[in-house]
Amino acid sequence: MDPTLLTLGALALAGAAATVSGCAEDLESDVGSQSNPNSQVQLGPQMGNIHRYFNKAISGEPVSYGLYVAVAGAVAWALMNAGYNPILGLIVGSGVGAITHGAYSLSAYLGRIVGQSKNFNQPVYMDVISTHMGPMMGHGFIAIFTMLLAAYLATLALGNPFPLPLVALIFGITVGAIGSSTGDVHYGAEREYQKYAFGGGIPVANQGDIDIKAETGIRNGLDSSYFCSRLGGPLTGLCFGLIIFLDGWRTVTGNIIGDIMGADLVIKALLAIILGVLIVIATAIVNRKVEVYARNKYGPYK
Amino acid sequence: MDISSIILPLVEITLAGAIINASVHFVPVGGAPAAMATSTGVGTGTTQLAAGAGFTGLLAAAGMAAQPGIIASNPLHALLIMLSGAVGAMIMLGLTMLIGQLIYVYGVGIVPAADKCDIDPITKDPQSAFITPGTTGHGIPTVCFVSGLIGAALGGIGGGMAYVGLLGLGFTIPAIAGVLAVGFFFMNAVLASYNIGGTIEGFHDPKFKKMPNGVIASTVSSLVAALILVGMSMGL
Repeated sequence: MDPTLLTLGALALAGAAATVSGCAEDLESDVGSQSNPNSQVQLGPQMGNIHRYFNKAISGEPVSYGLYVAVAGAVAWALMNAGYNPILGLIVGSGVGAITHGAYSLSAYLGRIVGQSKNFNQPVYMDVISTHMGPMMGHGFIAIFTMLLAAYLATLALGNPFPLPLVALIFGITVGAIGSSTGDVHYGAEREYQKYAFGGGIPVANQGDIDIKAETGIRNGLDSSYFCSRLGGPLTGLCFGLIIFLDGWRTVTGNIIGDIMGADLVIKALLAIILGVLIVIATAIVNRKVEVYARNKYGPYK
Repeated sequence: MDISSIILPLVEITLAGAIINASVHFVPVGGAPAAMATSTGVGTGTTQLAAGAGFTGLLAAAGMAAQPGIIASNPLHALLIMLSGAVGAMIMLGLTMLIGQLIYVYGVGIVPAADKCDIDPITKDPQSAFITPGTTGHGIPTVCFVSGLIGAALGGIGGGMAYVGLLGLGFTIPAIAGVLAVGFFFMNAVLASYNIGGTIEGFHDPKFKKMPNGVIASTVSSLVAALILVGMSMGL
């Protein structure tokens, strides 16, 4: 088969895997209340809001996801080099990554909550542990497996020279940075503060005054994933998927246009760079359009 | 290994460290307050966002360097590697800021507004009237977006330059050059985040004036790192 077609197919699959990965990663961090909005969950008991959120951020989301995926990548890489089937290697590696994630989550939750029990009367709810660990490790497994698949495709078919564990580490750090920057905003500023009117940020005086009542009963992390799967999760997935796809697309398309022109390597590389700059300009224009929309729609606050 | 083949990578790696440090100062980061729409910028940590963009750039740079026919010691090819890194990092940060903006506007319902300038230097839009009382801005206004793109481009160039320098020193196995470049990038990004101290909106933020201190610190530490790398390359 034509190598360009194979590359395009691998690129599409890597983009799709990355999209699922970003979405699962964000929803997992919503169930487990990791990353920046976690500071509000941490602050809640001090403000008198005894809650049933899971709370597990003891390091940054990018660093912890870098760890899980690098562990998974290292195990998969070792199995592949020992002669096992690559798909089996990816699955077993992701399983080990998910178990690492589970161990980290349990110790983080107990450490964080017990630290608040004495002074702020925040109980350790054992049923929160038993109900939340499964969805967190499940979402985490999906995120790790799909990210590892995208990393495997990047090394196998997309010409990346780095070994699988290193690409996995880089993807883990990148997806953590994206999830922390995009989807978690939806969980933090919107979901945790729904008793305040939509459209005004959260004044510093209201911080820690998180919502602890859900649509039915007392709110927990599982409610958060249900809410955030409408917007925050899918957009996070779209973001990571687009980054993987568009960054590869510009190179492949630069090569295709270069071949048609009969150009040499330097011209092909320059074409890929120019296409990348055009993509960046497009994001800046769309960002400006969204900004103008918001200014007209919501108007001045003062 | 003669002296001229050591000096160039040494200069490249030192300069790369300074560029990476400078780049981080351009990236609009608001940390946990930004994730609550209480502060302007992207809602994550400085080092993490800069590293996420820089590493995507590093992947793009390494992909370019690995193409058959590309020779890192050729100045034109080295420039292509660095530019490829810059574009890769800009795509990562541009899309992250855009999607973050969509969530701010459609998911949280706030107007992007910068607190550190009354009028956006690029669009000339007034800012202060659109800031929720009790907050220091929110979202990613145009000036922050453009500043972030400049920072990402510099970060990608710095990462690519460090990679080229490592290849020049004889670390031609991509795995080794990649791991060293990742560590080197983190070192300079962390130094910059110490200088910034939490949040920064971009080049219009008063904290941006502290950049020379960070750049000097990174130049010194990168020179030391480069000397150690030279020693490693000579088998010391």
